[in-house]
Amino acid sequence: MAHFQIRDLSFSYPTSKNKKSLDEVSLSIEKGEYIVLCGKSGSGKTTLLRHLKTVLTPHGKRSGEVLFNGVPIAEVSQRDQSAKIGYVMQNPDDQIVTDKVWHELAFGLESLGCDQKTMRARVAEMACYFGIQDWFHRDVSNLSGGQKQLLNLASIMAMQPEVLILDEPTSQLDPVAASDFLNTVRKINTELGTTIIITEHRLEDIFPYADRAIIMDSGKVIADDTPRNIGKLLYEQCSDMFAAMPTPVRVFYGVNGEGACPLTVREGRNWLSDTFTEPLTICEIPSLPADDEVYDAALSLKELWFRYEKDSPDILRSVSAEIPKGSMYAIVGGNGAGKSTALKAICGICRPYRGKVKVFGKPIEKYKAKELFGGCLAMLPQDPKSLFVKKTVREDLEEMTKDSQKIAEIAAVCEIGHLLESHPYDLSGGEQQRSALAKVLLTEPRLLLLDEPTKGIDSFFKEKLADILCKLKAQGITIVMVSHDVEFCAKYADLVSMFFDGQILTTDTPRRFFGGNSFYTTAAGRMSRHLFQQAVTAEDVISLYQQNKEALQ
Amino acid sequence: MIMRDSFSEYHPAVNFVFFVGAIGCGVVFQHPAYLAVSVAASLLYYLTLGRKKAAKAILWMLVVVVCLAAVNPIFNTRGAHVLFSLFGRPYTQEALVYGVALSGVFLTMFLWFGCYNYVLTGDKFTSLFGNLIPSISLLLVMVLRMVPAFIKKTKQIIGARMSIGKGEDDKLREGMTVLGTLVSWALEGSIVTADSMRARGYGTAKRQSFLIYRMRKRDWWLLLTEAVLLAAVIAGACLGQANAVYLPAMGVAPLSWGAILYGIYVFIPLLINLKEAIVWHISRSGI
Repeated sequence: MAHFQIRDLSFSYPTSKNKKSLDEVSLSIEKGEYIVLCGKSGSGKTTLLRHLKTVLTPHGKRSGEVLFNGVPIAEVSQRDQSAKIGYVMQNPDDQIVTDKVWHELAFGLESLGCDQKTMRARVAEMACYFGIQDWFHRDVSNLSGGQKQLLNLASIMAMQPEVLILDEPTSQLDPVAASDFLNTVRKINTELGTTIIITEHRLEDIFPYADRAIIMDSGKVIADDTPRNIGKLLYEQCSDMFAAMPTPVRVFYGVNGEGACPLTVREGRNWLSDTFTEPLTICEIPSLPADDEVYDAALSLKELWFRYEKDSPDILRSVSAEIPKGSMYAIVGGNGAGKSTALKAICGICRPYRGKVKVFGKPIEKYKAKELFGGCLAMLPQDPKSLFVKKTVREDLEEMTKDSQKIAEIAAVCEIGHLLESHPYDLSGGEQQRSALAKVLLTEPRLLLLDEPTKGIDSFFKEKLADILCKLKAQGITIVMVSHDVEFCAKYADLVSMFFDGQILTTDTPRRFFGGNSFYTTAAGRMSRHLFQQAVTAEDVISLYQQNKEALQ
Repeated sequence: MIMRDSFSEYHPAVNFVFFVGAIGCGVVFQHPAYLAVSVAASLLYYLTLGRKKAAKAILWMLVVVVCLAAVNPIFNTRGAHVLFSLFGRPYTQEALVYGVALSGVFLTMFLWFGCYNYVLTGDKFTSLFGNLIPSISLLLVMVLRMVPAFIKKTKQIIGARMSIGKGEDDKLREGMTVLGTLVSWALEGSIVTADSMRARGYGTAKRQSFLIYRMRKRDWWLLLTEAVLLAAVIAGACLGQANAVYLPAMGVAPLSWGAILYGIYVFIPLLINLKEAIVWHISRSGI
């Protein structure tokens, strides 16, 4: 008997006139399966997941049915549903109810009215399984994002669910925390046999381990197959979703490879080695010689030192950088290294106690606030929601300028023309990001600072964002971004800096920067570095592959 | 270095009963002996808990207390022994002593509450009363969680607006904007929180509280000791052992067993710390 059986499920929200959020979805999910659900933002993934638990099911017009263990889900008691169907949401913060880690772990059990003995045993068990012992007594507010999300997972696992549903659980986490989290999910699946249904942008970490991948587009299931076959399907359909596939898959189909499609970096490496058995003639993409000429610096940082409190450790320890005018400059580095603080120091939210910030050759203290933020410098914060203060996107933009001509122009650049009348909170992550960007751009900055611009947005919107950033760069705007997203930086940045231990350690072009690293580099780099040098994006690998193939023939 | 406070490691109920007794008696008793032991105990305990920070706080409290004691006779002119005249009003010895006693009450009160804050943290309090009124205690816990979250979000919003050049002019209006944004952001978050609660079975059964603290044998013993001492002290007080009149003439009950028992009571946390330290040393030295 299938664990979940979905039959002809259609659904539309009351506000949308005729658009169906789910359109005749039929699926069968077996016990113990690991299923990854992919699709663009707004394709109905979350709506579908929410139908698998009645308390979360949205209101609207619905037809079809969902069976849980052969029983219509509405007839399964609330208590059984709470215990047996675990649901982890996107935002690590808002899901947490109580103020202490131990209390949060026990929350579900408290609600179910378990006795003290059971609660004690389960809480202890979960704390051990998830490695929470060390921070068991801590305040929730002192945890990192990754720890919070792990806590949410543990607190649900304490109820011993049969199914675990995860709705983009890692979108707000940094890559290290995200892969930790996904490994834990995998461990739950293999060790406990819990059925997993997960939606994710970060497919590289789960695709190889999933039993099935289900692709959704505008409320329909367009593909349902093993991950190895899915790539082919999407490639043949020329789907937008192909861009979200793991790098080895993209490279494989990009060159029309033969044999089994590689899913992991290891498989990709082996596949490349098998294809090219002889020494290669072309192993490098001709890159421009190092740019040593004297350039105009849009921003120069000279030995910045900063700490939050008198007795706390220094966050910035002698940060120095020269950022050339008109470039896209990326700062990468681990979590908590101080990257975001460096951005705050540049725009004066944090005042360094030593060192100098020069914007367009002029020390930042010499600027008046109006002058600095009106046409010179602006920052897009990590959480775009912190910029929305009005009821519609248009009103928010009007807060910056009364010139409707200008608003229309910027809206066109950021591709949010159709969203102007919506409430900012109703938009998807990618749309919010672009609306916030539009608001920031209305100050007409010549130097744009971006804090984690790709956080929580899918590959499709990432490309859109990249297009916008390239357009801005073409207009002569200097862009400085801080990011965890190695792939994004490798593809679009002109210069990449490594931030570590409170300072900028190395700066180079993405090819040389990521080409030289063995761990802190892109999947494409890791997959091909034994054959090619400095191939850091899927496109690089594809082009080198093809050149070599031709040379061999 | 933070010194371990062994008293805090007892069950919250034991801590709570102690503070109820100490604070209650502290307010009521004005007998100099009672006051002196209470002030001494609370002062020392506060110092062991808070160290440097506490020392600073105490310094300020002492300043206030001395002023209070000195000022009292200016307003209160009753009393038999006139020390000198101030602004044509008598400044009496009794009023001064009474002022000292009053300020002693204030001081010990402040200090006990300070200790209370260190020992009975929010989660201990809620775990103590959680089972009596589960819904209210959950509400309290959620509020405790929201406060730091709101502060963080407010800082984020202000920072974000600063970096697009907003917030420099018209502070009042800007404040309203930030507040409005915070509210809508928080409301959105609370929808998620509500979902997360319902998804974990909130409201499907009678709610239980997970009791992380358990009464052990030593907790029962200490609780019993506290109860016996407190009962004895109160009985003694009913017999008039703690009587003290300052105005218009001094009349203080003689020293009695009640005061000694009270002294033992208020020193319980310090005695426990001392005992633990000795036990530790002995067990380490391998005797």
